[in-house]
Amino acid sequence: MRELSTKQKILRFMANNTVPLLFVVIIAFGVPLSGYSPTYLAGEVISRISRNTFLIVSLLIPILAGMGLNFGMTLGAMAGQIGLIFTTDWGIVGIPGILLAMIVSTPLSILLGWWCGKILNMAKGREMVTSYIIGFFMNGIYQLVVLYGMGPLIKIISPNLLLPRGYGIRNTVNLIGIRKSLDNFLMIRIGGVPIPVGTFLVIALLSVFILWFKKTKLGQDMRAVGQDMEVARAAGIRVEYTRIMSIIISTVLAGYGMIIYLHNIGTLNTYNSHMQIGMFSVAALLVGGATVASAKIRNVFLGVVLFHLMFIVSPMAGKRLIGQAQLGEYFRVFVSYGVITTSLVLYEVRKKRERGMSGLALAQDQEVTS
Amino acid sequence: MNAALMLTKIRQMVRSFGLPRIIIALFLFSLFILAPFFNVNVATSLSDTLNRFGMNAVLVLAMVPMIHSGCGLNFGLPLGIISGLLGATISLQVDVAGPASFWLAILFATPFALILGWGYGQLLNRVKGGEMMIATYVGFSSVAFMCIMWLLLPFNNPKMVWGFAGSGLRTTISTEGYYLHVLNDFLKIRIGNHFIFPTGMILFFTVLAFAMWAFLHTKTGTAMTAVGSNPVFARASGIDVDRIRTLSVVLSTWLGAIGILVYQQSFGFIQLYMGPFYMALPAVSAILIGGASVNKASILNVIIGTFLFQGILTMTPSVMNAMIQTDMSEVIRIVASNGMILYALTRKTEAAR
Amino acid sequence: MTKRQRTLLIRVGAIVLVFLFAVFLFHIGRQHTVLIDNNTVTRDGVELQALKLVEVQVGKKGEVLEMTPRIRDKAVVVGQRHTVKVVYTDASWNEHVHELSFRIPLMQNMVLISLPALMKNPEDVSFWLENFEGLPTAQSDAPQEEDVVFDELAGFDSF
Repeated sequence: MRELSTKQKILRFMANNTVPLLFVVIIAFGVPLSGYSPTYLAGEVISRISRNTFLIVSLLIPILAGMGLNFGMTLGAMAGQIGLIFTTDWGIVGIPGILLAMIVSTPLSILLGWWCGKILNMAKGREMVTSYIIGFFMNGIYQLVVLYGMGPLIKIISPNLLLPRGYGIRNTVNLIGIRKSLDNFLMIRIGGVPIPVGTFLVIALLSVFILWFKKTKLGQDMRAVGQDMEVARAAGIRVEYTRIMSIIISTVLAGYGMIIYLHNIGTLNTYNSHMQIGMFSVAALLVGGATVASAKIRNVFLGVVLFHLMFIVSPMAGKRLIGQAQLGEYFRVFVSYGVITTSLVLYEVRKKRERGMSGLALAQDQEVTS
Repeated sequence: MNAALMLTKIRQMVRSFGLPRIIIALFLFSLFILAPFFNVNVATSLSDTLNRFGMNAVLVLAMVPMIHSGCGLNFGLPLGIISGLLGATISLQVDVAGPASFWLAILFATPFALILGWGYGQLLNRVKGGEMMIATYVGFSSVAFMCIMWLLLPFNNPKMVWGFAGSGLRTTISTEGYYLHVLNDFLKIRIGNHFIFPTGMILFFTVLAFAMWAFLHTKTGTAMTAVGSNPVFARASGIDVDRIRTLSVVLSTWLGAIGILVYQQSFGFIQLYMGPFYMALPAVSAILIGGASVNKASILNVIIGTFLFQGILTMTPSVMNAMIQTDMSEVIRIVASNGMILYALTRKTEAAR
Repeated sequence: MTKRQRTLLIRVGAIVLVFLFAVFLFHIGRQHTVLIDNNTVTRDGVELQALKLVEVQVGKKGEVLEMTPRIRDKAVVVGQRHTVKVVYTDASWNEHVHELSFRIPLMQNMVLISLPALMKNPEDVSFWLENFEGLPTAQSDAPQEEDVVFDELAGFDSF
């Protein structure tokens, strides 16, 4: 009897954590195959945790508000990049440079997030695909501003930021002035592995903020809206306002996250850096066991570790296995997309099943109205 | 009084046609008017537009069945494209020169399209209401999966594989010597120095479009429309909703496969690996520009939309370049096409399904 | 004062505070280049000879630069107030040590310190420190065009 219940428990645990477990298996094969030393892997993983966590955390709030995965976080990334372009142009370096870039990005992020939230309120029920297209659309506007507006309309002081033709920002902006300045602040080494305590402190602060935010009035409202919009409305919650707020917060955080991400990398690919950020952040979050309907801080950390271990080892493993590193690179792209697809399907199937359970009559009723 | 009446009528027309569409149509129209003033040859432009119309029209047509059956915009078009690519590569592997290779490619692509389309349809039946997002990611993951396959599959025609490795397909494979321009050159009509009418390609599209139109008027076709407009009513009247939806998805996938083959024979290259990644978006925005919505589309939408969209793609680089010495066409393409998709996704009246 | 007015006041106050903080960050994070020049210069009609061998240090923790005549070197500094320490031993083995502080205008990218002028008149900062407006960018060869790369699939490997 007891045996059986343990067995059932294990089975349920496995069913609820399919994606993380699958990743553990992939990594269990990949790590020995790649032949990387544990110290190297630990260093890489720690550097990637510090680089990406902030970005991924920005996805949590819209999930709380029931708006699914915010692919529109690219908007925040663009705002962050514009902030960095300005501070680089003004020659502000070090941690003040990072902070100033964040301050510059904030109003932009708020504006973009507000607009994105407005649009998502017009597309209830398909927020994800809409936020995804918003990212593409805004990329066009971003190009218009950065490639044509900067120089003649928006003053750029430093000529070596501009393309030789005199307007538009160059393909790459060197962030040497702020490169790793936050990481190197309070850097300690444990067993040969550098640990950027400064960045981790910022991430810890953010995590505390998210936990605190969930308990505030607005956070509670978001949870209510996420569970059932109509019930929330009946309870006197301003549903539209709450949803817009969740997107604004997400966009602002994504902007900060992008600045931290780029400060670690050290160069800004003006027209490309933001393109895949949303996709990879979403994939990492889902690998950590989050779903479209619920995500927690621990999913973020587990996700970053698992996803990036896979990301680091797969090219080398592919090379060792069949002599082509390219294969491993394609493999990790496939796994990223596969994870997102699986999670989306599971979410929809579960949603449908829940709807089915709440009675045939109601289900039919919903089909008519929805 | 009369003027006011006309104003409301115009307003009504604008509303029914959609402001973005009118803007895009006017924009293209003004480009054609402005073109001669900037020494841009209108005949060449028209010829290019027609050519690109023929290249892309079948891919846009592939949107129609799924929209009709209520599966929404087929963001999973890359799956169909992959079937087409499999057909193309196998046809080249068999190594039959000349136009026959084109028909062989269609033949080889069909079973893949049917099987993949069937599986894709089954999946979409389980996720009703969330089709578009899932479709997007089904497309992406299948492209990424095929990237691995293109490296591993045992193709060995030296025209297709990397020379030094002897295995693994190249990123782009020329269709020269196989089916390059088979449709383009079939009965092509040359008018003056600059204008070529690609009769074969347009004819091919016309046949497919007519077949689609005819299909939509058969019993199964009307059932498909019924499923799309009111699934509950359709089920009540004894239609197997899931079967019809699957059929529409298979049809879309197959048309996607044919569409990419038509595209390749004109373009001259088979693009593998990440090539098909974003190919769904232009097709989606084209049909929306043509007046379709998330749950309504006609053959006319396909024709108008493809012409407008491809027209803008051909005209903006040349005219804009001549006008302000800057190539802003990329920005215009991104904003116009994605703006159109956003517009369609946010229509309240069209959201009801 | 109503509640609404108070909220508004607090918000405006917060924005002003953030703005002031941004200005502060701008000041403490601004990077400048200090060029140190040991060429013969003419000041007020007097020719000041370049120094034979001189040690220069910009800032307390800056690198010590050893400079011979006709050398120009640079130090990159952050912030506006800095010190420069110059150690020079003249022909008669007298050691001159000057530790001087100077201020760089906020929006000035580069300033130039002329060592011979500094030796002559260390008290007058404007005598040896001047704003430097950068060399006109290479006019010799036509500016090479740079193609803007849009790669919607970029970032697959850098994440």
